[in-house]
Amino acid sequence: MNIKKLFLPQIPFFLGIPALVWQVLFVYVPLVFILVLSVQSGTFESFRAFFTAEYGLVLVRSLFLGLSTATICLILAYPVAYWIALCAGRWKNFLLFLLFIPFWTNFLLHIYAWMFIMDRNGVINTVLQWLGLIQEPLHLLHTTASVFVVMVYCYTPFMIWPIYSALEKFDVRLHEASSDLGATWWQTLWHIVIPLSLPGIRSGFFLVLVPAFGEFVIPELIGGDKVMFAGGVVSYYTLHAKTSSFGAAFTIITSCVLCLVLCLIYLLSRRFMRHVTHGKV
Amino acid sequence: MGKHSLLAQRWNIIWIVLVYAFLFIPIVVFCAFSFNNAPFPSAWVGLTTRWYQELFSSTEIWHALYNSLIVSSVAVILSAVMGVFFVYLAMQGGRIRFMLSHFYANLVFPEIVLAVGLLSLFSALGISLGMWALIIAHTVLGLGYVVPLVYDRYQELDYRLTEAALDLGATPLQVFTTVTLPLLRPTLFSASILVFIVSFDDFIFAYFCAGSTFQTLPLYILSMLRTGVSPIVNALSTVLLVFSSLLIIGYSSLKTKFRVF
Amino acid sequence: MKSVELRGVTKRLHGEVILENINLVIPSGKFFALLGPSGCGKTTLLRLIGGFELVNEGQIFIGDRDITHLPSNQRSVNTVFQNYALFPHLSVFDNIAYSLNVRNVDKSVVRKRVGKIAEAFSIDRHLYKEIGQLSGGQQQRVAIARAVINEPDVLLLDEPLAALDSKLRERLLVELSDVQEMLQTTFVYVTHDPFEALTVADQVAIMNNDGDIEQMGTPREIYEFPVSSFAARFVGTTNILKGTFGVREAGFGVDVPDVCFFLVDQAGALVPNAREGLQAFVSIRPEKITISRRLLEGVGAPKLTGRVANKVYYGHSTMYQVQVNDGIALRVFEQNEEHVRQEEIDYDDQVYLYWLDKNVVVLER
Repeated sequence: MNIKKLFLPQIPFFLGIPALVWQVLFVYVPLVFILVLSVQSGTFESFRAFFTAEYGLVLVRSLFLGLSTATICLILAYPVAYWIALCAGRWKNFLLFLLFIPFWTNFLLHIYAWMFIMDRNGVINTVLQWLGLIQEPLHLLHTTASVFVVMVYCYTPFMIWPIYSALEKFDVRLHEASSDLGATWWQTLWHIVIPLSLPGIRSGFFLVLVPAFGEFVIPELIGGDKVMFAGGVVSYYTLHAKTSSFGAAFTIITSCVLCLVLCLIYLLSRRFMRHVTHGKV
Repeated sequence: MGKHSLLAQRWNIIWIVLVYAFLFIPIVVFCAFSFNNAPFPSAWVGLTTRWYQELFSSTEIWHALYNSLIVSSVAVILSAVMGVFFVYLAMQGGRIRFMLSHFYANLVFPEIVLAVGLLSLFSALGISLGMWALIIAHTVLGLGYVVPLVYDRYQELDYRLTEAALDLGATPLQVFTTVTLPLLRPTLFSASILVFIVSFDDFIFAYFCAGSTFQTLPLYILSMLRTGVSPIVNALSTVLLVFSSLLIIGYSSLKTKFRVF
Repeated sequence: MKSVELRGVTKRLHGEVILENINLVIPSGKFFALLGPSGCGKTTLLRLIGGFELVNEGQIFIGDRDITHLPSNQRSVNTVFQNYALFPHLSVFDNIAYSLNVRNVDKSVVRKRVGKIAEAFSIDRHLYKEIGQLSGGQQQRVAIARAVINEPDVLLLDEPLAALDSKLRERLLVELSDVQEMLQTTFVYVTHDPFEALTVADQVAIMNNDGDIEQMGTPREIYEFPVSSFAARFVGTTNILKGTFGVREAGFGVDVPDVCFFLVDQAGALVPNAREGLQAFVSIRPEKITISRRLLEGVGAPKLTGRVANKVYYGHSTMYQVQVNDGIALRVFEQNEEHVRQEEIDYDDQVYLYWLDKNVVVLER
């Protein structure tokens, strides 16, 4: 280590440090501010206000949304990532390029497009009516199902990327070895490929779960204003100056809940890893 | 890899086609309907380019686009420069190295949490919301991507290349500019693009930190979604899509390794 | 233990023909080596037997069973890969037990069989370690154990010793040979190192750059009686000279201009098409030539004279390069039989070269 220090080119301290300063100033200090803000108006008043069934439900609802979105995205994404990484050959770059296009178009435009598609006079209804399959237009918007569809739509690419990165590094010979030893394709997938791509699966899952949990725009626009989600509560309370301490408090509550869930998932994945690697078929 | 059972292969292809179709439905729809001669939402009436004409004559939307571009570009530059130097500093060893993991935190906190925090900070410090506040926020976002990505790649770098350069007489600064930086360039480039996209697309930070006067493109679109939409938005997104696709295709055909077609 | 047969096998990859119309019978229960330079197609051939590639034309048989269209997990063939391809996330035990586990073999049976085979390979102490903690030699043993626990009909080995240092390689070669004798399974061993093939194999097939089988035989046969210059050069070192068939008073042989006339024993038997005036090559291995500064008694006249142009000391032997005329130099290998040499041959010394006619091999190509 010491010798390395001698030979590594030295860079002036002041050049490297701004990033850290930035991080502290604009991430940690604000977080402290949130903490301070939440206890400002007398002790834990603002926290107590949220310990009701109603807000508990909001949290559960958001958790459910986040977890199910992540799960569905995982199911959709894994085969795609697998194929692109291991089977695509010449098509690999093309498929990755195609995947990239939704990234280039604005998130909100996607929502707008889905609103358009699912509207009473929108594409789906028009097509179905034209085909004669239905008489009356279906009520697609403002349902839970439609919220799920749009959520999954927006977040699937985020799941594909990390899994793809992990699978790209996969040594094809391990697949051959497994097959050579008599395993069927499914057995190889379950015992070899998935365990070795687990870090990628985990990152993808987190990458989707975290924003999906805090999502409020999609439920609001697609699902209608009827139900409250965690993100909506936070934005509502925060942008109204008088209640900003409530906003801060709820932010902390949601962060803690999310943190807990993330830790749980991490531990579960480790147990899964241990289970699969001990030859249990 | 034709060793998989043919059945599994067939299902896999079907699955992928379905998933990709799913991902592209809205895109196809709003591109197609940008040519529709009727406001949202309605059935197909007739072909028209009037929305494009309106698009190019509307100043508000271009103003918003301009703002977005400025904010994103500045944020990218700031986070890329600071990020690279920080990783380099951290790799020299010492306690700073442990600070690297802090940057992973940006992805763990939902954006809304960070946005709320920044809002509180700004109001407490008396910093007015607007362009610079948003740039600050997006740089935070950017660092959260640049530092982990560059660090990852840095670890994969062959340190023997650095040693070889030193052995041949290069000064530390020359090693950085002639060996390290060029090797990091692809990662920096892709990280920058990623940050640009994320920043360009972002509306959560904008929602909280841009204030009432400064409008970026996502905010403009959000306002339209709430009030009433016009296919000008379709037209704009189609234009952006085509433009960026051409950029990517053009760039990739220069480098055959990333050849798309 | 079963034999392996390839009939009319052709394989194309990316439009290029790698193997064309290969007909090969690998005898059962033997240690068979497939020897050839890098890129000649030997690994492809191995992969065809293993089922990782499918043939374009032809058939492959294990014993009597036609396995041409079977996927690799249904063939009774197991492979030891070049980099071993041990599963990094599984312990040594689980790696070895893998093929049993995927067949849902009972846990207690698995434990017994793995234990037994680990003991046979002396890796029982490492059973619960992670792969990364093992040395190269240990990893190889795990790879072999994993492959043979199934008792396959044929074991394929793809240059398994390529990454190891020479001392370790020698030791493991001996171990491999012992394992094969113990198991009596048909081994098909692919390598580019002639030394490995000569040391362990019962039968060797030499493959040339075009993907054809150049020669097949026991190690001794291919070394002492190569059928072409390629085979002669590839396995060990040799001196090859070009000349024409001719007849002298002494008999039939090959005349190499500006060098000498090589009298060849039983030329007719070795090269059936031998005719006067036809182009021919002679191969004489360096160790078959005796070098001396003085004339030797009782062995007849020296075959050639020359000047020592180069000398390399190998410890157990010395290699001389003797210039016999302006264009041609012969390599001579001399064992350092004596602790202190009685006669030291040095640079620029004039020397006499002797050999026995029967040690010369005549080649058509």
